[in-house]
Amino acid sequence: AGNFGNMSMGPGQPQGPAAVNLLAGPPLLTDLDAPSPVSWVPPQSSVSQAPTSNTDPKYKRCTMNAIPQTTAMLAKSRIPMGLLITPYRHLLNGEEPVPVINPPQIVRCRRCRTYINPWVQFVEQGTRWKCNLCFLSNEVPTFFDWDPETRAHVDRMKRPELTHAVVEFIAPQEYMVRPPQPVVMLFVIDVSYSAVQSGMVATAARTILDTLDAIPNTDNRTKVGFITVDSSLHFYNLNPNLSEPQMLIVSDLDDTFLPMPYDLLVSLSESRAVIESLLQRLGDMFKSTQCVQNVLGRALQAAHKMISPIGGKIIVLQSTLPNTNDGALKPREDPKLLGTPKEVTLLQPQNPFYKNLAVTCSPTQVSIDVFLFSAQYADVATLSGCAKFTGGSVYFYPNFNAARPDDAMKFANELSHFLSRPIGLEAVMRVRASKGIRMTAFHGNFFLRSTDLLSLPNVSPDNSYAVEMTLIENLTTSLACFQTALLHTSSNGERRIRVLTLAVPVTNNLSDVFGAADQFAISALLAKKGVERALTSKIEDAREALQYKLHEIMAAYKQSFTTSSQATQLLLPENLKLLPLLTLGMLKNTAFRATSTVPSDLRSYIMALLYVFPPELCITHTHPRFYALHVLEPQAGLPGEDGQIMYPPRLNLSSEKLERHGLYLLENGVEMFLWVGRAVAPELCKVLFDKPSYEGIVPGKTTLPTLSNDYSTRVNNLIGKIREVRIQMATCYPHLYVVKEDGDPALRMWFLSQLIEDRIDASYSYPQFLGVMREQMGKISAS
Amino acid sequence: MNTFEEIEDRDGIRLSWNVWPSSRLEATRMVVPIGCLFTPLKEREGVQAFQYEPVTCKMPCRAILNPYCQIDVRGKLWICPFCLQRNQFPPHYKDISNTNLPAELLGQYTTIEYILNKPPSLPPIFLFVVDTCLDEVDLKALKDSLVVSLSLLPPNAMVGLITYGTMAQVHELGYSDCPKSYVFRGSKEYTAKQIQDMLGLGVVPAMRPGQPQPRPGQPAPPQTFGAARFLLPVQQCEFTLTSILEQLQQDPWPVSNDKRPLRCTGTALSVAVGLLEAAYQNTGARIILFAGGPCTEGPGLVVGPELKEPIRSHNDIEKDVAKHVKKAVKFYESLAKRAADKGHVIDIFTGCLDQIGLLEMKSLVNLTNGFLTISDSFKTAIFKQTFMRLFNKDAEGHLQMGFNATLEVQTTRELRVCGLIGPAISANKKTACVGETEIGIAGTSAWKFCGITPKTTASLYFEVAAQQQQAVQPGSRGLVQFVTLYQHASGQYRLRVTTVARNWADVNSPEIPASFDQEAAAVLMARIAIFKAEIDDSPDVLRWLDRMLIRLCQKFADYRKDDPSSFRLSDNFSIYPQFMFHLRRSQFLQVFNNSPDETAFYRHILNREDVNNSLIMIQPTLMSYSFDGPPQPVLLDSISIKPDVILLLDTFFHILIWHGETVAQWRKAKYHEQAEYANFKMLLEAPKADAQELLAERFPLPRYIDCDQGGSQERFLKWKVNPSTTHVNAGGYGYNAASQGQAIATDDVSLQVFMEHLKKLSVSGSS
Ligand SMILES: [Zn+2]
Ligand SMILES: [Zn+2]
Repeated sequence: AGNFGNMSMGPGQPQGPAAVNLLAGPPLLTDLDAPSPVSWVPPQSSVSQAPTSNTDPKYKRCTMNAIPQTTAMLAKSRIPMGLLITPYRHLLNGEEPVPVINPPQIVRCRRCRTYINPWVQFVEQGTRWKCNLCFLSNEVPTFFDWDPETRAHVDRMKRPELTHAVVEFIAPQEYMVRPPQPVVMLFVIDVSYSAVQSGMVATAARTILDTLDAIPNTDNRTKVGFITVDSSLHFYNLNPNLSEPQMLIVSDLDDTFLPMPYDLLVSLSESRAVIESLLQRLGDMFKSTQCVQNVLGRALQAAHKMISPIGGKIIVLQSTLPNTNDGALKPREDPKLLGTPKEVTLLQPQNPFYKNLAVTCSPTQVSIDVFLFSAQYADVATLSGCAKFTGGSVYFYPNFNAARPDDAMKFANELSHFLSRPIGLEAVMRVRASKGIRMTAFHGNFFLRSTDLLSLPNVSPDNSYAVEMTLIENLTTSLACFQTALLHTSSNGERRIRVLTLAVPVTNNLSDVFGAADQFAISALLAKKGVERALTSKIEDAREALQYKLHEIMAAYKQSFTTSSQATQLLLPENLKLLPLLTLGMLKNTAFRATSTVPSDLRSYIMALLYVFPPELCITHTHPRFYALHVLEPQAGLPGEDGQIMYPPRLNLSSEKLERHGLYLLENGVEMFLWVGRAVAPELCKVLFDKPSYEGIVPGKTTLPTLSNDYSTRVNNLIGKIREVRIQMATCYPHLYVVKEDGDPALRMWFLSQLIEDRIDASYSYPQFLGVMREQMGKISAS
Repeated sequence: MNTFEEIEDRDGIRLSWNVWPSSRLEATRMVVPIGCLFTPLKEREGVQAFQYEPVTCKMPCRAILNPYCQIDVRGKLWICPFCLQRNQFPPHYKDISNTNLPAELLGQYTTIEYILNKPPSLPPIFLFVVDTCLDEVDLKALKDSLVVSLSLLPPNAMVGLITYGTMAQVHELGYSDCPKSYVFRGSKEYTAKQIQDMLGLGVVPAMRPGQPQPRPGQPAPPQTFGAARFLLPVQQCEFTLTSILEQLQQDPWPVSNDKRPLRCTGTALSVAVGLLEAAYQNTGARIILFAGGPCTEGPGLVVGPELKEPIRSHNDIEKDVAKHVKKAVKFYESLAKRAADKGHVIDIFTGCLDQIGLLEMKSLVNLTNGFLTISDSFKTAIFKQTFMRLFNKDAEGHLQMGFNATLEVQTTRELRVCGLIGPAISANKKTACVGETEIGIAGTSAWKFCGITPKTTASLYFEVAAQQQQAVQPGSRGLVQFVTLYQHASGQYRLRVTTVARNWADVNSPEIPASFDQEAAAVLMARIAIFKAEIDDSPDVLRWLDRMLIRLCQKFADYRKDDPSSFRLSDNFSIYPQFMFHLRRSQFLQVFNNSPDETAFYRHILNREDVNNSLIMIQPTLMSYSFDGPPQPVLLDSISIKPDVILLLDTFFHILIWHGETVAQWRKAKYHEQAEYANFKMLLEAPKADAQELLAERFPLPRYIDCDQGGSQERFLKWKVNPSTTHVNAGGYGYNAASQGQAIATDDVSLQVFMEHLKKLSVSGSS
């Protein structure tokens, strides 16, 4: 705690961290783009003193960068203690890869099985190391100082285990119950009428074909297979000796059986020609279909049967609502329920089939990813269950029509990235924490195998996991450590353990607790808790819980640190000053908003996203990025010193910012909007839209033309940059919607509903919201 | 009077009796019933079909105008001999006169064929059902044969393909994007409805609302629904089908060493039947099964997959320990009935050293008049050539097969029909012509042949209606009209009408025995015996045959009571006992030397062949070749087995060339390769040339055996010859057997002993 003693005052006088009066003006957004909060533990205090000793918050962050020493203090702070872990995140441009090491032995604590890490202590002249989680002293193996191969002394302090908080061990034999599984991708493709008519099948086939070279396939071990589905199941014999695929139709759906014992799942390398041949014709094979039935449930059972001996990914591309046989779903959307307490029934699965199936998939290391395309009701709520319990993901393309280039482009880009990104397979993840800290809940897409063991047949780079924690006893050390170990098989067929160790100081000072709280991590954790609350109770309850938690934190702060002279103010520490805005954003988010205008599919989808989004995306989705484009400063949209495209400054999410001649870009991680003011300069229309004037601009889903002028280049650069980052972070290629000030009211409302500082419908504006908060605070001080 | 063969050549008919007694009682005393072997589509040289509609009698008679009708050229009337109604000639017969008669009234047209003015049927359908649990080489051979067969089919014939092993696959030949098939679980019994649903054979799917209708003038989209996806004209799908066949792999499911491969023959056939019955009722169609082993999976299971379980034998069946037989027979019978009801033929070709379950499956071919051929493998000439002969064509290039034939019999009122024995089913037409006595498929005067060829021969049995003896008017005759309506291979509907007339005679008239056709009679009796044997135990049938033979002899032989030496049979009865002798010891009735499958096969063939071929089966022919003179037929007797001769045995199923010891030695010494022994070379070649001639005609192709005296293959000859010189009686009965013939190791009685017994029993008053 001495490290930040400068921030705390002596005992007696309660003195909080530097505080901000929220009522003083509009929220300051600069923190939103500030680099991730600096660790409160100087890396020099690690055993190796390496700058990489603590975990980059992008991989793992704690809601508190100072952990209260006592349970009482934790309770008093009201701040939720939790971790947000994105263990397998996709590296962005310029980021350092995780060091991979292959030591003769993986050194772990004898008692609690913690992996040796930069936060252990060497004791007894460096012959033993003291576990930073359970404090047991363990022997240091000789190879730490002596390389038996080169027969030379080595500096243990240069070992990556001790210099890097995030490392990946190549696992020796004892970590395997069987040889590491190869990458297995089994596509289950809807080929009923709407799937074919919408162009989904053709686009999927073409994209898979174009991506074959990029699918991870180290040592040529990767296997692929295809099942197409309408009222029957169609399997494909892809034996490498065939000149063309053979299609095997199973219409006997009384029970699940495979028409062949092998050759349905084949080596991507060996059967490459016949796989290509299938994909080349798949787009046309069902072009005259009239079948409107779909037996997805049976298809998934067959798919599971096919790959369960190995494990792997089932990739579902579904357009029709499964309507026949096991797993049939009813089109149950009911606009009358939207916005009512009963709305939640539409967000819950309509039957347990898909969840049960997912639960049987998990132990066989089978994950399911779901791509949903639908002109009507898709039942995201039910079908997303496949992904939720198997570590998969959900992709949703409402009203998909490949004839619209934007739709085809989005899907193709996302599928292509999905197929080519690295995969972790047959994984389990365990989170350990220092003695005295206990995990109480986990959020994310996985199956909880035991109290702290998460089963992940597939570790998606996109998926983040949240852990709620509590103190079960007072802490006795100055550091609290959290270690996440992800045992998995990498795309290249190696069994690996990715270990992430986060060290956080322990404090006995409540002021530190508040001053070191991470408002973004808190928001992200609350979002995930909110999703769970909404689905198990009501959306309204989730909203209340969100608001109440904010109130609790603010009240706790007020009670401990605000003096009566500050009664007219609404104070929060500098580092928590965005929490009310983020909470308000959450309350107005598609996931939680009180409205009858969000179809349940969309609501379910956004909830599913929030549930797995890493904190950065949770925040962006709660508080979209908003830029003025008509007044671009010189560097915006052009590469900066690091070669990355520079963003313009962010605007407050308020319609006050909208000038009539303005042009604005709003991005929420999932979609982008280009707002065009009615009085926009014709010159701007010309250089950006290639239209003579505002009137010529077509609203709706658009791809901007690439014109040979500086402005067009910069705007397109910005859009391209956003898409590049989103695809890497979340396999999302956001659509761009052009919104005209006097255009389509629904589109306009959609855009405006994201200006969260405004009053929308019956919701509070930001100042109103603060007013309500203050009012409630007042009650507290009065009591 | 014309010889029996001349009549047969003209009308395709051979009758046991060609003059008929006037009373029922007398007919019964004649022992051999009045019956005929009738070949409805008998090929007749130089006779063409007439392209006009037949003139028929009024309802309900519908008999067809024929040369035996009385006509009144002035009144433009004709009198139907069957119902005695008067009928007006149709208007276009107005120019009729005694010198200007239509063909059907001319004497040479007692058999006439009409081409009916009816829209042609669909071209014939060939649905191949192919076993893939074969070894690599056998599968290759079968695939090659199938590919070749496509080029032999008429271009418009429709083909389909089902393959099976552990599962059954129906190949959608109309699908152009890639080979596509529908898979059915082998282990499951599917109903017809399920099969049709799973194949999507329902009606045309309803158009989706809002879907653009095809604009007039635009080509219709390819048919993507219904059975037409699976059965396509060969000219349209030959390429697709050939490539599917070429890519066809062995059944992929693993088979452990102690198991038989899983073969769902029953499921495959039920899918085939289901496919055809859904969409092609009463259309000519053949389901051609190629089976390389027994059904071991699912319905119709013949033997379990465990190799330690042997396939049932005649012994097991007799002891009632063959656990699958009844169930399997029932399953295949119900399939056979379904196919037959819809007019579809099922053919079976086997390629297996062991049995495949023909005993259980025989109804498939028997009820539909399918072809049945057994061979050791699909590599054999027997299979390949027999299969190719299926596609033999007539002079006009049409396949020599008709479909969906109905044979109706009309008799004049003194005669009634008792039934039919042959590869047919009852058409359930109970007319006044149906008699009281039931023989074979009875209770009807019409039968249906799903498939029919120019060789298909049925036996029909009749009884005399009159209970009381009546004085016979001189020249009075009975008439039988056979009307065969069938679908010709060209798609035409044709009607073949054969009208035969035979005189009535008074009881005891010598004309009656003089009209006896002992060859036809032997075959008619053989068919009854086998029909009975299929139901009864063999010993009962043998006793029945003996009793009938003795009674026939008692009735028609010349003898003094109790004096066997006085026993004489007239020429046209003289070899009948010999036929019965050989029939008794033939594989048709002595089943224990054969497997149940072979028994089913032999009986099936006998049931469909004409008199000549049947007689060869009952009593094989034996030709002897020697330096002593031209080749000559010799007795089917051990005395014919001599060291210096070559024998050519034709059992119909086997053609065997046997070289006597001396000849064999010469051949071994390769004398025939030396110029000075050219005559030996000729001697060796003569039987081969004759054998080739026999082989060229046969269907199925016989097994060809070339053997030497003392070789193991010799047994085929020894089984057949009369054991006049056995190890028991060598040298007896006045033949100089010891020096001339070869002793046969058998406990069977010889023909000589048999005849002695027959004489004794016939002349004794007691029986
Ligand atoms: Zn420990
Ligand atoms: Zn009549």
